[in-house]
Amino acid sequence: MIKTWRRATLGGLAALGLAITAPLFEAGAQTQPRNQITFMREIDSDRYDPHRSTALAGGEIIQMLSDTLVSMDFDMRTIRPGLAERWEVSPDGKTYTFHLRTNVTFCDGKPFTAEDVVYSINRWIGRTTPRVVSPVAWRAGPVKEIRATGPHTVEYELNEPFGELLPQLSQYFGVMVDRATVERLGDNFGVQGFNGTGPYCWGNWTPRSEFVMTRHPTYRWGPPVLQNQGPAHVERIVWRVIPEAAARVAALQAGQADITQFIPEAFWDTMRRVPTIRSSTQPNYFWDVFLGFKVDKPVVSDPVIRRAAHMAVDRVGLTRAVWSGHALPARNIINPNALDYDAQSDAMVPNHDPAAARRMLDEAGWRMGSDGVRVKDGQRASFLMYGITNLTNQRSAEIIQQGLRQVGIEMRVQMFDATVAWGRLATQEFDAYILSYPYISATDAMSLYWHSRNRPSPNRMNWNDPETDAWLEEARRGTDPARRAEVTALIQRRLAEQAPWLTLARTQLTVFSTQRVDGVRAHGLYGIGVYRGLDLRVVR
Amino acid sequence: MLRHAVQRIGLAIPVLFGVLLIGFLLMQVVPTDPATVRAGPQATAEVIAEIRAELGLDAPIYVQFGKYLWRLAQGDLGVSIINNVAVTEELGNTIGPTLELMVSALFWSIPLGIFLGTIAAYWRGSLLDKAIMAVSVAGVSVPVFFLGLVLIWFVGFQWQLLPFTGRGGPLWSMDGILAIILPAVTLGGVFIGPVARMTRTAVVDTLSAEHVRTARAKGLPERLVVLRHALRNALIPVITLIGLQIGFLLGGAVVTETIFSWPGVGRLAVGAILSADFPMAQGTIIVLSLGFILVNLAVDLLYAVLDPRVRQA
Repeated sequence: MIKTWRRATLGGLAALGLAITAPLFEAGAQTQPRNQITFMREIDSDRYDPHRSTALAGGEIIQMLSDTLVSMDFDMRTIRPGLAERWEVSPDGKTYTFHLRTNVTFCDGKPFTAEDVVYSINRWIGRTTPRVVSPVAWRAGPVKEIRATGPHTVEYELNEPFGELLPQLSQYFGVMVDRATVERLGDNFGVQGFNGTGPYCWGNWTPRSEFVMTRHPTYRWGPPVLQNQGPAHVERIVWRVIPEAAARVAALQAGQADITQFIPEAFWDTMRRVPTIRSSTQPNYFWDVFLGFKVDKPVVSDPVIRRAAHMAVDRVGLTRAVWSGHALPARNIINPNALDYDAQSDAMVPNHDPAAARRMLDEAGWRMGSDGVRVKDGQRASFLMYGITNLTNQRSAEIIQQGLRQVGIEMRVQMFDATVAWGRLATQEFDAYILSYPYISATDAMSLYWHSRNRPSPNRMNWNDPETDAWLEEARRGTDPARRAEVTALIQRRLAEQAPWLTLARTQLTVFSTQRVDGVRAHGLYGIGVYRGLDLRVVR
Repeated sequence: MLRHAVQRIGLAIPVLFGVLLIGFLLMQVVPTDPATVRAGPQATAEVIAEIRAELGLDAPIYVQFGKYLWRLAQGDLGVSIINNVAVTEELGNTIGPTLELMVSALFWSIPLGIFLGTIAAYWRGSLLDKAIMAVSVAGVSVPVFFLGLVLIWFVGFQWQLLPFTGRGGPLWSMDGILAIILPAVTLGGVFIGPVARMTRTAVVDTLSAEHVRTARAKGLPERLVVLRHALRNALIPVITLIGLQIGFLLGGAVVTETIFSWPGVGRLAVGAILSADFPMAQGTIIVLSLGFILVNLAVDLLYAVLDPRVRQA
């Protein structure tokens, strides 16, 4: 009897095992359909409306769904034609006249005209009905009026010159949208559909899961920065959200997806050794991590404390520890490859030298207390830092904390979930904060964070310096490149001298892809990995 | 029986109301401002204020709560403040994959757990019993995310046998079946241990009961004694445990859905909470809680079916 029972047991186990594994014998892991490319990313966008979203996850898709008037080359400073094949700027720098391509159509076949430019830019800056509030409307410049002076000619008139206009128009906020589709979909524009002029058209979107786009078959007006001007080689692109980093790494190696920029730096060396994986790194990538000080708060209002912090933190060691060496240690607030970077201010940023920091603090009257924290006039050298909870910030904060402690400065750390952090970072509760941000040039980087009118956020440093404001305004107006470089250099030097911002690292952009696809080149405009996707091709 | 069912349903209603209330209040207590989340890091205070007004978040809390209850009474869970999609539509799209995942996980783990528990009880004290119990303890101890990553690494990546990057299609298609195996094994894997252990304990108890001794004395085959007389009576506590564990399975589904990019309610809930999407978060909380309440209600009713003493009490 027992034997029968045991046989039944073993038989049951075998049957169960077969039931589970049977499909494996019939089909292996998923293979990708021919002429489809699958991108992987970490998170999804809230929506795909260029005038309502500022998410990177939105930008990388929107730049494929529609076009901008001008395009940005891979050097991140040369502006090339886009939907505008040429343009002129008036002598006073206030009026740009764009001459549009004549053969452009939206995905639904409707011809693209100057009226579409007028509508799209006006929607971006909140001048359409119903009004749309774009958090980055300021990037369109001080617009006086956008006019269609012909079916394919647009005048973009400003209240004052805005030297950054063309780079700003190359960003995804400046893409063209179809008025009829916007009005038909209302609040669901960019949620249920989109009609753009881009190389790919809206397929379908399953939020937090998948976005599918299909080739725009008549597309022939791709930017000259790419080899292929259209139509795209690939019929279908699928953007899949894979939140787990290890799953993304494994999926790329297993060929279950083709392209991603969202591989943690700790895996980069390993991935580069995998023969079936390719990588493309953008040297002109401007996305920096920094520690900002509120310059009007006790302790950190003292430039000596801020300079000592620069000397106490080993930024080389920090980039090695936090980004596995795949970020560059920073000095000046501007990346050396960015437009209007000033080399002299780099030299003004203090070097890592804890001994010199201790001496400087001693000389400034900050005496070492019994608990290892310095004191001056009854004030302990202690400050509170806020940040967003993530592994990078946490590890950076630990290293900064340790470095500061060695020179007698205490940094208290409080991290918040991203949902909470932005609200807390807009307050005056803290003394310093850690954050990262993208930019396209020195003027772009500094206008936002250092103008006094942007206090308390995004000018969280409470930096209030009339000279900086004047220089920034001149730089923003700067139609003369030489003068713009001159005034932005002055700001960089002022900031290097006053040290209100400890730039920690310049992150790198690397896009990994499988051998199955060709034409992957990291771009990096506003963090976008692959620009437009026209050169992508399935080769295996 | 009917009276028992009505009583249990009656008790479930205040629980559901409590969940709604707590769900709403929790989202208010969280120091999150959806307007700042939506505006992004570069927005000025004026822009944030405009977005707050656009989302109706500048109204007092009691007004927001009143509107929330009124909408609920009409069966309207609201609209996502992030992407403007109706909450019911999003839930409708995600409940299916979650149910699919849970049923698939239960489909293999419950029979296997009961089976392993029964044979461990039958040969209690043997090496087989000890091995099964050791595996059960390991199953209980291994976190879902760890098991998921191990399966991804070996089965998905090293051996390249199965996909692991989302739902491959409907469950009746080959792509759908292949795509669900790893998530279902992960989610069900942690379920086997408790079921096996509870089954073993209950079967051991019933095997020494008088009615089993009588059955043996009557000369019934051992297979029938175990299956019909011991296991059937042992199932009551096992069903209770399964009911309770399904609640934990919902929690496990959140993790599993995240690891395997499974487009279910759990992932929707995490996404909604992280993006401060109040209506969506509240909607998912309602659905998950409702699921938990319904499962417990079903267990209560099933318990009464299996054990007449319960409905007589």
